[in-house]
Amino acid sequence: MLRFEHVSLCRGERELLRHAEFAIAPGRVTAILGPNGAGKSSLLLAMAGLLPASGGHVLLQDRPVEELSRMEVAATIAWQGELPAAEFGLTVRQRLELAAGDGESLPRLQQAAARMEVGHLLDRDLARLSSGERQRVELAAIMLRDCPLWLLDEPTAHLDLKHQTLLLRMLRQEAAAGRAVVTVLHDLQQAMAVADEVILLDGKGGVETGEAGGLLTAERLSRLFQVELMSFAEGQLLLPDYRT
Amino acid sequence: MTGMQRLLASLLLLAVIVYLSLAMGDVWMQPFAKLSDTDATILWDLRLPRLLTALAVGGMLALAGAWFQVLLGNPLAEPYVLGVAGSSAAGAVLALFLVPDSAWLMSAGAFAGAWLGIVVVMFFAPLGRGSLLLAGVVLAAFWSAVIALLMALLPSRSLVLAFGWMLGDLSRSPLPLWLLWLVWGGALAAGLWLSRSLDRLLLGEKHAAALGVNVPQLRQRLLWLASAVTAVAVTAAGTIGFVGLVVPHLMRLLFGSLHRPMLIASAIGGGALLMFADALSRTVAAPAELPVGVLTAMVGVPLFLWLLVRRDG
Repeated sequence: MLRFEHVSLCRGERELLRHAEFAIAPGRVTAILGPNGAGKSSLLLAMAGLLPASGGHVLLQDRPVEELSRMEVAATIAWQGELPAAEFGLTVRQRLELAAGDGESLPRLQQAAARMEVGHLLDRDLARLSSGERQRVELAAIMLRDCPLWLLDEPTAHLDLKHQTLLLRMLRQEAAAGRAVVTVLHDLQQAMAVADEVILLDGKGGVETGEAGGLLTAERLSRLFQVELMSFAEGQLLLPDYRT
Repeated sequence: MTGMQRLLASLLLLAVIVYLSLAMGDVWMQPFAKLSDTDATILWDLRLPRLLTALAVGGMLALAGAWFQVLLGNPLAEPYVLGVAGSSAAGAVLALFLVPDSAWLMSAGAFAGAWLGIVVVMFFAPLGRGSLLLAGVVLAAFWSAVIALLMALLPSRSLVLAFGWMLGDLSRSPLPLWLLWLVWGGALAAGLWLSRSLDRLLLGEKHAAALGVNVPQLRQRLLWLASAVTAVAVTAAGTIGFVGLVVPHLMRLLFGSLHRPMLIASAIGGGALLMFADALSRTVAAPAELPVGVLTAMVGVPLFLWLLVRRDG
């Protein structure tokens, strides 16, 4: 579906990605992990064709993403990034309608809102919601778009435990139904629980990709995050020692 | 109130404003009564064209303001924010400096100045939103300095003309009425054509792009459109302030932020506000006329603050 061929990515002078090679396949959840500033969000933007690669090719369904029109990309990719601007006063319903495109049926809109538990907020002003509620509206907007590839930038940010759980279960269900899901995550346990594949960025251009089970080890992640991690429950639980 | 009730109330208000604007002035006239020939001339040959000019100019300023606000992602943006009004005023004052007393040449100078300002701004168009706004603010300061320099050198007779123009004057638009209405209607049509993309731009540039909007192209179009419409409005009536800043917000409060209803309401509401302010400017100190730009602020500020407090209070 989406393939990176020798892709390099720069932000200013810094090289975030050097000759990266990987593919995103339908039916899989891919987690992107790395320290702050390593380029996780930039990588997502490059996948969405919103940040040009400084070398190599980003191929979306075998065509270079920069040769596709924005409409063509938008038909395939749904991107969730930072919370959108709210100073001009949109309601939740209007924000969802903007994501849905013209002539979207009302039941589908209500269904997406209900899945993220924002159905009761439809007529509220976006600017008057809490960050968590706004994040749920953004996720409902992604669901509404029904694109085969989802790119999610910290979708669990601002969410309470209940909604994080709701969301992560949903990501698994969507992947099981054939969707390709790429998500930036900070929580190692969550990544281990939902990811089939991982992309690890070290912030110096280095990229490691592969099966989640193989890459999410205490030793490798300790090195990546520069924090000593201890392994519990046969490697299913990785924790730093907070008390030293 | 529902949307429909709000629309009907607005249309009723518009009709009242049109009626009052025709009737008001140094002499009160009943537009539908039997009038003497002199009164009929005043009403239909002087007041009506001026009213129609105000409607178009106010509408253009409000549209341009709405576009600049969404283009720059900043609620404080208005038609003059990127220095187009400043360069236009500099052009007008320069023309007065070269040939004193020529109102026609002053208008030509204003138009040329506006386009010079647009060309300069276009040079900075590829910058990000924040930098573009800053560039515009700095350019506006530069044009102010040019104006101040020229004003210091102007003879006092020309100063009066220059001040009057800068505070807005609907009495002697050098542009034919049909042209103003054509630009006004064309601007609204273009705005409606872009409305879906503009709505998405409200979410921010990245979100709009992710939803399929070609953001660089849209920015380019908006910048040209808003600047050109501002140039025409300023050439017609000088630098009337406030309408372009406040009317779009007023209409968002009344009709919501989606651009289709909001742009239609701004195009008409901006015109109505300017028309009413102009009628007041002809009336309150009659037979003297006050600068219309002063009245737009005096009418608009209380109205806007009242709506703002009602919404957030």
